[in-house]
Amino acid sequence: MKNFIASIAAVLLLALPGAARAGTITVKGSDTMVILGQRWAEEFMKKNPTIKLQVTGGGSGVGLSALINGTTDIAMSSRPMKEAEGEKLRTRFNTTGTEISVAKDGVTFYVNENNPLDALTQEQLKGIYLGDITNWKEVGGPDAPIIVYSRENSSGTYVFVKDNLLNGDDYTSSAQTLPGTAAVVNAVSKEKNGIGYGGAAYAKGIKELKIKKGNEAIAPSAENIKSGKYPLSRDLYFYLRNKPAADAKTFIDYVLSPEGQALVTKVGYFPVK
Amino acid sequence: MRNLIAAMLTFASGAALAQEATPAPETAPASEATPASEAAPASEAAPASPSPDERMTNAEGKVASIEEQLIEIKGILSPLTKLKFSGYVQARYQWEESREDGTGGYSRFLVRRGRIKATYTGDLVQYMLQIDAVPTGVTVRDAEATLFIPGTKQNMSVTLGQLKWPFGYESVQSSSDREFPERTRVVRAFLPDERDRGVKYAGKFGVFRLGIGLFDGNGMSYPGSVGVDNDKEKDFVGRAGFDAKWISGGVSGWYGHTMGRGAGETYRHAHERSRVGADLQVYLDFLPVGATALKGEYIKGKTYVSNGAELLDRQASGWYVLLVQNIGLHDAVAVRYDYFDAASGVPAAAASEGSDRPAGTNAVGTIGATVVHYFGENLKLSATYEHPMTATVSGVKDPRDNVLTAQLQARF
Repeated sequence: MKNFIASIAAVLLLALPGAARAGTITVKGSDTMVILGQRWAEEFMKKNPTIKLQVTGGGSGVGLSALINGTTDIAMSSRPMKEAEGEKLRTRFNTTGTEISVAKDGVTFYVNENNPLDALTQEQLKGIYLGDITNWKEVGGPDAPIIVYSRENSSGTYVFVKDNLLNGDDYTSSAQTLPGTAAVVNAVSKEKNGIGYGGAAYAKGIKELKIKKGNEAIAPSAENIKSGKYPLSRDLYFYLRNKPAADAKTFIDYVLSPEGQALVTKVGYFPVK
Repeated sequence: MRNLIAAMLTFASGAALAQEATPAPETAPASEATPASEAAPASEAAPASPSPDERMTNAEGKVASIEEQLIEIKGILSPLTKLKFSGYVQARYQWEESREDGTGGYSRFLVRRGRIKATYTGDLVQYMLQIDAVPTGVTVRDAEATLFIPGTKQNMSVTLGQLKWPFGYESVQSSSDREFPERTRVVRAFLPDERDRGVKYAGKFGVFRLGIGLFDGNGMSYPGSVGVDNDKEKDFVGRAGFDAKWISGGVSGWYGHTMGRGAGETYRHAHERSRVGADLQVYLDFLPVGATALKGEYIKGKTYVSNGAELLDRQASGWYVLLVQNIGLHDAVAVRYDYFDAASGVPAAAASEGSDRPAGTNAVGTIGATVVHYFGENLKLSATYEHPMTATVSGVKDPRDNVLTAQLQARF
């Protein structure tokens, strides 16, 4: 009997690392959202000093994977949860998860500020990212090779562009993958023949391309993204395993409050409310 | 060992000799070493450092060459990202109580499953091979070649090989995900080993799911049919279902024939082998401790496998209901009741030899409870107690055959 009790005690001790995390809400995922998440966390913790928030990036896929594996409380994702991810969550936790839209964003294509082009059609962008168009002159620009920058496949933005622009086809193998949107912006600002993409919040110091639709060139502006007119606008999400409760609910209530949504605008994204 | 010590001593003495053989450098007075008048001009002594432009050009050249190498490496590694290995081991301790007549009962350790799976998923193709390596032997569980139908974003596929029958819920569910160590009696009887050689079409249409296939029908370990079919009879198997996330379910059907010689028959002939089934899963999220799932399934059919032999034309039916409650991140409890009537419509009886044991055709209801603890994402410990209740007649007792199973599952 003593051995049995010792065994139970051992099991409980092994379970302690999980229990020790209680009191700290971990938020992980989308690199596009990480600055926003950190701003929310900073302001929230000022008002609620007893609740600790830990915000890290890694990409939407990484965040959702952490949610499925039980290593984060909230996953940030710049794309909807995939069916396969939902099935894994259901299998492990018997839950369908909770999806909360917390902000809006437009995926913006960046070119170097010296690039004479201001707008491209979706078909032209698709051609560039599939590798069918390799020279700027093919889309009305200078005679120069196009240097294509992309994100890693754990990024929600990568998946969004693949699904919504490339119709599920693979990126050109010559696309150079970079670890974050800031890195893409940095690369395009230094490479005069470069093109990259990312969230609108990062598009500073480089030129944002408009998207041509018929005779109209639609800019990734606040109005166009909020109204859905800009064709590559998207929601930014929080995912939880269960319905928000306790400290997590307090945080999400703050995120969706007028104050939390005002921070969305300050960071450069668009509020959902 | 002696040789090692000798070698170490040889090495140490050699090093000492080397030190002795090197003469100490003669140190000249600073004034003699480099007279100020003979010192080379600064420009000759240390070449001028490159200008910022030169350094930038060099750095850009290096970055460009690294980028080229990265693109090349990416081209090489990219196909490998489509290849995934996974697997799990289920190691157990099992104890069964001894029956009143002294028969049955055991206390044993066993490795129930030792799986390793390789999956390559491309845009149009999927390869999957799963091996089960346990102390009793190594078997191929799945060997599938799948074509994703072009233009369907992998929502429609055709698979050929040895694969799971598209029937019901529990038979398709991975053993590594199940809360209970084994599938229910009804599923084990109608879908033994869950797999067969055949061809299957799978399609997703919004929330609707369809899986239909043509199979040998005898499963993967039925005697006389290991690896190949033993007759020309083929079976149609299919399931039409839906998946609306919090609720999912479907209806399944199976129709085919098997060649065999029934009692009193001189020659083999085709016997009907059929099943119908319905399943439902509901996922609820109303308790603060964690989510709740309720799952159930009913199967009725003719001709099934018992103890490795096919019971021709035997009508049977069964069902189960399973309740799972997650508790926090690391624990879950589940209760399951499953019922299997091995000969539908035949009243319960004593065994034919006239003993006080129940007949093998009597219905069995099993109530079981399990507790599961997850040590992170890769390790799961479960303890399960099951109490089978066999239908009896006067003078016959329900056998004592309760089973305790403690299982540790490691997966990657």
